[in-house]
Amino acid sequence: MIALVDCNSFYASCEQVFRPDLLGRPVVVLINNDGCIIAANKEAKALTNIPMFEPVFKIKKQLKENGVVFFSSNYTLYGEMSQRVINILNTFSPRVEIYSIDESFLDLSVVDYGTLESHGHRIRKTILRYTGLPVGVGIAKTKVLAKLANRMAKKIPEKNHVCVLDTEEKRLEALHWCHIKDVWGIGRKHRERLQKINVHTAYGFTQLPLAWVRKEMTVVGERTWRELRGETAMEFVTEPKLKKAIGTAKSFGKKLTDLGLIEEACSYYVMEVAEVLRNQNSCATRINVFLTTNYHSDIDKQYSNGITVTLALPTDSTFTLITEAKKALRRIYRPGYRYKKVGVNLLGIVPKHHVQGNLFQELSTSQSELTKIVDGLNTKFGKATVSSSMLGTRKRIKKWELIKAERSPRYTTQWGELLEIKL
Amino acid sequence: MEMLINGKLKKVEQRHEAGVSKQTGFPSPATHYLEPTINLHQELITNSDATFFVRVVGDSLAEFNIMANDVLIIDRSIHPKDNNLALIVDEGEFKIIRIPGCGLREEIMLWGVITYIIHCSR
Repeated sequence: MIALVDCNSFYASCEQVFRPDLLGRPVVVLINNDGCIIAANKEAKALTNIPMFEPVFKIKKQLKENGVVFFSSNYTLYGEMSQRVINILNTFSPRVEIYSIDESFLDLSVVDYGTLESHGHRIRKTILRYTGLPVGVGIAKTKVLAKLANRMAKKIPEKNHVCVLDTEEKRLEALHWCHIKDVWGIGRKHRERLQKINVHTAYGFTQLPLAWVRKEMTVVGERTWRELRGETAMEFVTEPKLKKAIGTAKSFGKKLTDLGLIEEACSYYVMEVAEVLRNQNSCATRINVFLTTNYHSDIDKQYSNGITVTLALPTDSTFTLITEAKKALRRIYRPGYRYKKVGVNLLGIVPKHHVQGNLFQELSTSQSELTKIVDGLNTKFGKATVSSSMLGTRKRIKKWELIKAERSPRYTTQWGELLEIKL
Repeated sequence: MEMLINGKLKKVEQRHEAGVSKQTGFPSPATHYLEPTINLHQELITNSDATFFVRVVGDSLAEFNIMANDVLIIDRSIHPKDNNLALIVDEGEFKIIRIPGCGLREEIMLWGVITYIIHCSR
């Protein structure tokens, strides 16, 4: 059996652990220069009169009038809390697949757990007590069914956040209950197609002939079809897959015209992606840099461009990558525009031990030694303690950094930002 | 670092390597008694996934020996016993109390048990 454990409104819940005064109140979390809402708790979702997908500046007044509390995203905090949850899950099963920051699959076939129901409640209670985060648990024979069970745990109050589909009867009941739009892995296009042929529930879908599903929805649809019927068709992935491309792009806090500042922002992003690259022991073969103005603006002149450069040798060195990224950036930068965003993507990612020197260049070991020391210092003393001088100074970072006006303290990672208890 | 070895000035390599004294050639009598240095985190924290640090600001709570600016180590996994100090939430507000013999009132939410008080004495 497989369990899917998923944190309820994870980002908002993380904030509420440290702000119990906000329990029961609508909370939303903003992203992208605080431009729009990316997460809302159930109290906020209940305010259906507010168009939550609109840019925040358009709905700010409505949010305030309804007592909605908003936070800038605090990924440092969410990431640390997520790690706690994963650590706890690891005590419940030796096989855990981390699916996302707030969702994990647990293989329960290898543990002696008593009844599945009580095991589910034990998982839920432990995570809630240790971290303060509420979770839902769905347990079933396959991943897709566990996901469905998890949905029932969340949506049906009588289930009390834990739902087990361990009999044929319960499986069929669940399939009848579940609307086709809520089946994991069936996108909008396929859903519309299915509704046209009068398939509205997960049950209806499982009654279609396999040949049709395979033909119309490819092997992806077939997998979902099999899993819903209780047949394992998706493997359990305990080792994270190596990323094939690593990229980041963030809007500037304000529009930039100065090449120097854009270069610094670009270098900072390269530093971030290069760290991800080294964490998975890989090297990049190509680097892509792009630059764009604000397309939503009616008054600004518009320009955007991107460029991909193949590196002389695949590398994981922040310094080499920054040098190449800056050269690329200079080729696409045109003065006289107000730029909104710069982004970098590392492409052609290969395992580090596969990288060979070529006729003209040998692999440099001195750079990788330097990089190791720099990484060590940054782990010990904090992000970007030591970095390339091309990143500019902290004071200058303020000129392009994302706006995170409402970010909560990093309660669990910064000694200077601990939760304060006022007596 | 340079050292006088056999009358010649030489650079000492691997000078962070402990164990055998390089100066005298005599093995350290402590070789078989080496233990890792005390690690406070390891001593004070039994369940790191359930442990949080919080800082007290404003007033002191002399009767609990908690002063303003102290850092409290809080373990959420511990079941509170009588007389334990605990961080609780009462009507949405954090408070520090001693767990009474009769247990907590129902409307009070236990946030965690205070296991250590870190006080800076300078």
